[in-house]
Amino acid sequence: MGKITLCTDWLDVCSGCHMSILDIDENILELIKHVQLLSSPVTDLKHPPKEGCDVGILTGAVSNDHQEHVAKEMRERAGVLIALGDCAVMGGICTMRNFFDTEEVLRRGYVETESTAPGQEVPRSNEIGKLLPQVKAVDQVVKVDLYIPGCPPPAKAIWYAITELLAGRTPVLTDDLLTYD
Amino acid sequence: MASVQITIDGITGSVPPGSTVLEAARSLGVDIPTLCDHPAIQPIGACRICLIEVEKQRGLQPACTFPVNEGMVVHTKSPKVVDARRFVLQLLFSERNHFCMFCQASGSCELQDLAYEYGLDHWEYDRAFPQMPVDASRKYFTMDHNRCILCRRCIRACDELVGNGTLGLKYRGAETRVIADMDVPFGDSTCVACGTCLQVCPVGAVLDRMSAYMGATDEVDRVKSRCTACSVGCGLELVVRDNRVIRVEGDWDAEPNKGLLCELGRFGLMYDKRKRVNKPLVKTESGWVETTWEDALGQVQQKLSGAGDALCTVVSGLASTEAAQAVMEKLPGTKAVMDGGMPAAADGIGVLDEADLFIVVQTDLTKDYQVAGFAVKRSVRHRGARLMILDDAQNGLEQLAVWKGTPEDAAHVLAVAQDAQMPVIIYDAAGAEIAKKLVDLLPNAKQVTFPGGSNAHGLASVGLDTSFTANGANAYYVLAAEAGQPDEKLMDALQKADYVVVQSSFREPWLDVAQVILPSPTAYEKNGTFITAEGCKVEVAAGVSSKLLSEVEVIERIAAGL
Repeated sequence: MGKITLCTDWLDVCSGCHMSILDIDENILELIKHVQLLSSPVTDLKHPPKEGCDVGILTGAVSNDHQEHVAKEMRERAGVLIALGDCAVMGGICTMRNFFDTEEVLRRGYVETESTAPGQEVPRSNEIGKLLPQVKAVDQVVKVDLYIPGCPPPAKAIWYAITELLAGRTPVLTDDLLTYD
Repeated sequence: MASVQITIDGITGSVPPGSTVLEAARSLGVDIPTLCDHPAIQPIGACRICLIEVEKQRGLQPACTFPVNEGMVVHTKSPKVVDARRFVLQLLFSERNHFCMFCQASGSCELQDLAYEYGLDHWEYDRAFPQMPVDASRKYFTMDHNRCILCRRCIRACDELVGNGTLGLKYRGAETRVIADMDVPFGDSTCVACGTCLQVCPVGAVLDRMSAYMGATDEVDRVKSRCTACSVGCGLELVVRDNRVIRVEGDWDAEPNKGLLCELGRFGLMYDKRKRVNKPLVKTESGWVETTWEDALGQVQQKLSGAGDALCTVVSGLASTEAAQAVMEKLPGTKAVMDGGMPAAADGIGVLDEADLFIVVQTDLTKDYQVAGFAVKRSVRHRGARLMILDDAQNGLEQLAVWKGTPEDAAHVLAVAQDAQMPVIIYDAAGAEIAKKLVDLLPNAKQVTFPGGSNAHGLASVGLDTSFTANGANAYYVLAAEAGQPDEKLMDALQKADYVVVQSSFREPWLDVAQVILPSPTAYEKNGTFITAEGCKVEVAAGVSSKLLSEVEVIERIAAGL
């Protein structure tokens, strides 16, 4: 049997969840015996191939239209889609802005911040993703097959989930593998 | 019918009639999760997490309110029940801001614990993100409505236990919100800042400002001790992390307070801003200087030896019985108690929850001995007990009283008390004389009395029972502990004396009268016994180590060189 193919990407994140993937430490040597990493935010190839992959991991919440596109692309191309971390699973800390109007948030962030020089404006380039009215969890945009919450998820929860999947079982997180903070 | 037979998860047992299924399950050792339920308050079935399946009953029932009956068969872990509980949790998480990652209660949250227990790895419903206010108008703790799950524990605790009834609800459904009085800021309300709501809140809605983000449940230690703020002597738990008391909570298992504390007991010492005495302080011509124990003790011993029997030792009621004993045995001269007034020990404070008539004589239970005041308030509000007040001054309990008069009107009280089943006369030193007359005329009356000093009975037990009166001594040793401003006659005497040594936790109010101030551990840092107003010997236990000499050690070291 060939190696399992894996793609990861991040949405609205602090990148802590990808750090937590790296925190599986020396297990990464074991991982690459079974898994081929095709794309990730920290490798040259950023997008999952059109031919698809076995497993896709998304970290972060869906906050703008670009991220919505990334989530949909990953869903189309991944056999199993994992939402990793509180932001991907439930929206997490990114949803703090859901208590405010989007324009209010942009103004606060780009114009009114104490450290911002006077006369700044909210950037409106078409190159930049447009904020969605509400930050969403990944499963509010596409179907998610497996959830690993945590802020960030403990590395051992990630390793447990991967090994269970490699063994052909559905991981069920319990005890200290299931955490929201 | 003496008992009811019930089968829960295949375990059959007998429970008293009138029990709830939850009580029955606990007595049979079956665990049912709860959230809005709290052992100290009445169940209302608000949260539905305790749903159970009762055979021959339609639908699922909340265990906390559902009464048992003969032959009942209950299932608490059937798939239907577990699914329903998950559903309840999903609904709770969908309502407001229940994101754990930036909540101070994370790690100490009953909602989070349940979500872990029921394996919630994601949320099934869209969140509404309602904008709820945060009320930070109170000094010690805040109310974040965004975190509230509407379990109403705070409302019930304030009403049933404290008898204050400050909290209530407004609006309906998802809009429902906990309010104070007629929806005023909590800081402007009738709240007495006792913090009972804070202690019962299962989530991060009521938030202690001092200990916020300072330690979750498994990061802190809890040390059972006693409150020394007054002679009620409430049981408390010091919540400790890294040798610091971060919070104080009432001990639910302790008498006489059963988990309650007042503002003074919960927050008083935590918020005491006076400067600590960490090393012996000696007054010199250039002001106060820190010095070594050897130097300070040498000076003190020399001066006190010179004074001989002209020494007067004044002991605060905040000192332990052991310290008082050391004073009595080791130090020469006269001895007196700092806080005047010591009515005899009488009936237990527990009678307050049985009495049908309270006669409060010249003491304001909303200012002093507040936890006893809570018992009076809840009895008046919920058991229909009557309250009569004999007081010249304003009294915080006036609104609850059926009658208030001056001590000269005592005859009126007697007329009413004749018909009472269990009248209780409540007083401290100020009302002792009038109370004595009432007691003589009402032989069936119980008495609840409060000495002024927290450990006055402990001090008396070793023979230290004389209130301080100016006696012309020219050298003083004052064992003050954390005492604040003493009465004028003591300060006057200290002003006039040649030499004053104070053993105190804080510099104030002694800087103007003392020549030497020796450090003393606070109630959170010392071990010792106290005797409470109702005559119970209780242990004050150190939650943290201050590395200071104990009260007793200081006295012994001084005495050794006299």
